Amino acid sequence: MIPVLDRPLVQFGLATAAVLILPLVMRSGTLASEILIFGLAVAACNLLLGYTGLLSFGQGIFFGIGSYVAGLGLVRAGLPAPVMLAVSLSVGALVAAVVGWISIRRQGVYFVMLTLAFSQMFYFLAYTFSGITGGDNGFLDIPRPTLVGTRLTDPWTYYAYVAVLFLVLFAALQRVALSTFGRTLLAIRDNEARAGAIGYPVRAFKVAAFAISGAVTAFAGALHAMLIGVAPLSNIDYHTSETLLIMTIIGGSANLFASLLGAGAYLLAADALSAIWPRWLLALGLLLIVITLFLQRGLWGLIERAIVLVTQAPPPDDPARPVVTPPPVAHAPEVAR
Amino acid sequence: MTYLFQILNGVGLGMLYFLLAVGLSIIFGLLQFVNFAHGAFYLLGAYLAYEGVERGLSFWVAMPLAAVIVAALAGMTERLLLRRVYKLPHTFHILVTVGLALVVQELVIIVWGPLGGNVAAPDELSGVMILGDFIYPEYRLFVIGFTVILAAALWWLLDRTRLGAIVRAGSESPQNMALLGYDTLSINTAVFALGAGLAGLAGALAAPIRGVEPFMGVEALGIAFVVVVIGGMGSYAGALAAGILVGVAQSLMATLWPEGARLVIYLGMAGIIMAMPRGLLGRA
Repeated sequence: MIPVLDRPLVQFGLATAAVLILPLVMRSGTLASEILIFGLAVAACNLLLGYTGLLSFGQGIFFGIGSYVAGLGLVRAGLPAPVMLAVSLSVGALVAAVVGWISIRRQGVYFVMLTLAFSQMFYFLAYTFSGITGGDNGFLDIPRPTLVGTRLTDPWTYYAYVAVLFLVLFAALQRVALSTFGRTLLAIRDNEARAGAIGYPVRAFKVAAFAISGAVTAFAGALHAMLIGVAPLSNIDYHTSETLLIMTIIGGSANLFASLLGAGAYLLAADALSAIWPRWLLALGLLLIVITLFLQRGLWGLIERAIVLVTQAPPPDDPARPVVTPPPVAHAPEVAR
Repeated sequence: MTYLFQILNGVGLGMLYFLLAVGLSIIFGLLQFVNFAHGAFYLLGAYLAYEGVERGLSFWVAMPLAAVIVAALAGMTERLLLRRVYKLPHTFHILVTVGLALVVQELVIIVWGPLGGNVAAPDELSGVMILGDFIYPEYRLFVIGFTVILAAALWWLLDRTRLGAIVRAGSESPQNMALLGYDTLSINTAVFALGAGLAGLAGALAAPIRGVEPFMGVEALGIAFVVVVIGGMGSYAGALAAGILVGVAQSLMATLWPEGARLVIYLGMAGIIMAMPRGLLGRA
């Protein structure tokens, strides 16, 4: 760990820099917007995984619901985009609170399996009620938002719109992570039994973390639907949940900027690889195995290690511990995360 | 009559789900390891049976052979890869097996193409059984009979043999087993291979019923999790009861409300978890 890089202002500065640099180095405004949108959803996933120790396989539920809610409001009811973003945010929070409330009745692996089963449930819900969601075809013809009378059809104009919202929500998530609430989540992550014994209502905290995570994820889902003009069925399926989790772990957990890094690295690699090799997921699978074996702190950990190597200044707090060593974790289910 | 037909279908389906789930369950029980590649082993079993039959092997050879090959591959994977990650937090168990599942799925698409195919039921069982005005495909009856025998054998193996005792003791306290001089590493490999082999066998048995396609693994994984969550992890009887329950519910719904058949399974699971957080017969 390099403490200075974890400071909130530094983190926010890095995120702002990324937002400003993307238009300079990238050709596709759509892909750039996608990076920010997924960065947001991944940061929300990180709030659960990195800060609360909850590995949720259900993030796709909230992403998909955000897409559908935005589509329904914008197309069927003709409501303006800001209203629908707010509605998506609230519906996401609500659904996530319910899913979270049920899922945290079980702990450890059971919890993970429950969230996965829920993500299947919502997928089939969207698939079954195709009259509302468009089923396999997706919910079509979702318009871009308008700003001072112009529709943001240009990719880079929409990027600017997404960028502002991204930074606002990124800051909000940072605020949550730094608050007493966020610190308590860390305590729950590190030792749930102890946090409970001190008197924290652990379950309420977990449900709240779910609600916040779901809200931000649904917001990202709404932005995504407006970006591509469709709320596809794939936004709510197992693979979206899986992808968000993979991005979170590739980036590095318990660090919000790392989430943007993870989303960006994944999407850029996917974009480059899928163009030349349709079976690129094979490479992704191998990459996950490599990360598990050698790179458990993700890209962020790699960067920290590189910086330490370059500056030759091992962190003073624990110089003996190599940066990559994961904390030993007992196998007892009650403490397993 | 249709209901009887669907219930029988459901029992067959449910027994396959049981094979899947019990494999997942014993792997988790002994190794405390969530195997997200379990669906991939099922997928591989189905495709190996498909390949065997395509190459002119009898289904009676191809089916067990598929299971054995899957078990052997899984054993090798455990030795070379998974063993290194047991001590990591379970996030990484999931990550590495999700990676493994992706690799298997993409390899299947590279080798066999993205479209899938059909596996003919063996000639001896390609007909239908007629009892009065009740008609039923013989292959499905065979699946029920065969899996019931298999379930009994598995129960005997896990409950009445020395190996079963070792597996159960190992799930309670691996350290004590090691202290007693058991080669826990080899036991781990054997159990992982057994669990994965059961998934492969379920895939091979399912192939003539539902055909093969590259994404059947993901679906199977979801179902296996539902069965394990409903039945209670580590419970043989729970996996059996929940497997049949899920299979029958899914089959009945296929007549009553076809589009919603799978939706109902997941809704039912949510309901059961609300009422009984430990599952039907779960210990912890």
